[in-house]
Amino acid sequence: MPFKRYVEIGRVALVNYGKDYGRLVVIVDVVDQNRALVDAPDMVRGQMNFKRLSLTDIKIDIPRLPKKKSLIAAMEAADVKNKWENSSWGRKLIVQKRRAALNDFDRFKVMLARIKRGGAIQKELAKLKKQNAS
Amino acid sequence: MKTILSTDTMEIPDGVTVRVKAKMIEVEGPRGKLARNFKHLNLDFQLIEGGRKLKVDAWFGSRKTTAAIRTAISHVQNLITGVTKGYRYKMRFVYAHFPINASIANNNTSIEIRNFLGEKKVRKVDMLEGVTIVRSDKVKDELVLDGNDIELVSRSAALINQKCHVKNKDIRKFLDGIYVSEKGTVVEE
Repeated sequence: MPFKRYVEIGRVALVNYGKDYGRLVVIVDVVDQNRALVDAPDMVRGQMNFKRLSLTDIKIDIPRLPKKKSLIAAMEAADVKNKWENSSWGRKLIVQKRRAALNDFDRFKVMLARIKRGGAIQKELAKLKKQNAS
Repeated sequence: MKTILSTDTMEIPDGVTVRVKAKMIEVEGPRGKLARNFKHLNLDFQLIEGGRKLKVDAWFGSRKTTAAIRTAISHVQNLITGVTKGYRYKMRFVYAHFPINASIANNNTSIEIRNFLGEKKVRKVDMLEGVTIVRSDKVKDELVLDGNDIELVSRSAALINQKCHVKNKDIRKFLDGIYVSEKGTVVEE
């Protein structure tokens, strides 16, 4: 029941609204009750409202307001990118992106693959049913 | 203004187990079990140190929610003393001329009051659940209410008191009634 993901310096968050939608950022400072200063390796450090952030489980060890170089070094040391891409949340986002980027031919191929998979499942199911009935 | 976090903890004595789930608190002890629902409050209840302490948090609370932390803790403390020591409220009959005639019925769960101020009306009060009432034998004109839940015991005492209000008279002169004389616990220490 108690909260596990706290807003703290070094908390990695996902932007869920606005121009930087989908970007992983690190909270480097807290401006006031509603806003944080966020930074990421490929963006200019700026303020963002907490309502635009979804906190993740990942936290890195940085002092308040680190320089860009030390921020990137800390993110490499904590292996944020791999941890994110291996987490279930991160994997889901990757799959969503992939699906949104399909063209018509890709969708056709997906349809064929699903039919084939369904057929294989039904074959096994029929086999098991026959075993059970006998 | 909103205070980011206000928190308070309380110790839970040995011999008492407290269970917390979704703002419903259950306390179990030697005298029985009591439960209380805090769903109307915007607070976080959690047991820490393996059940030895109860922590209550208010995140981004106004002055009123911060105040509610301490009252919630007091309510839980009352549950704990109720379940370990119980509550005993004593009431005395006060009358100037007409002796108040009270009889306990229903195996100690209801009381009938007659001859209050000489009136013919018989007042019957049912005790709430878990509360027993007994006419004290050593002391003249005394009632003893026992129970585990302080809310129920005190409310039963209030019901008895309110049934014996004087009407249409100067109450500074007609002081008759049944009044709470002592609020204590069943198990003395």
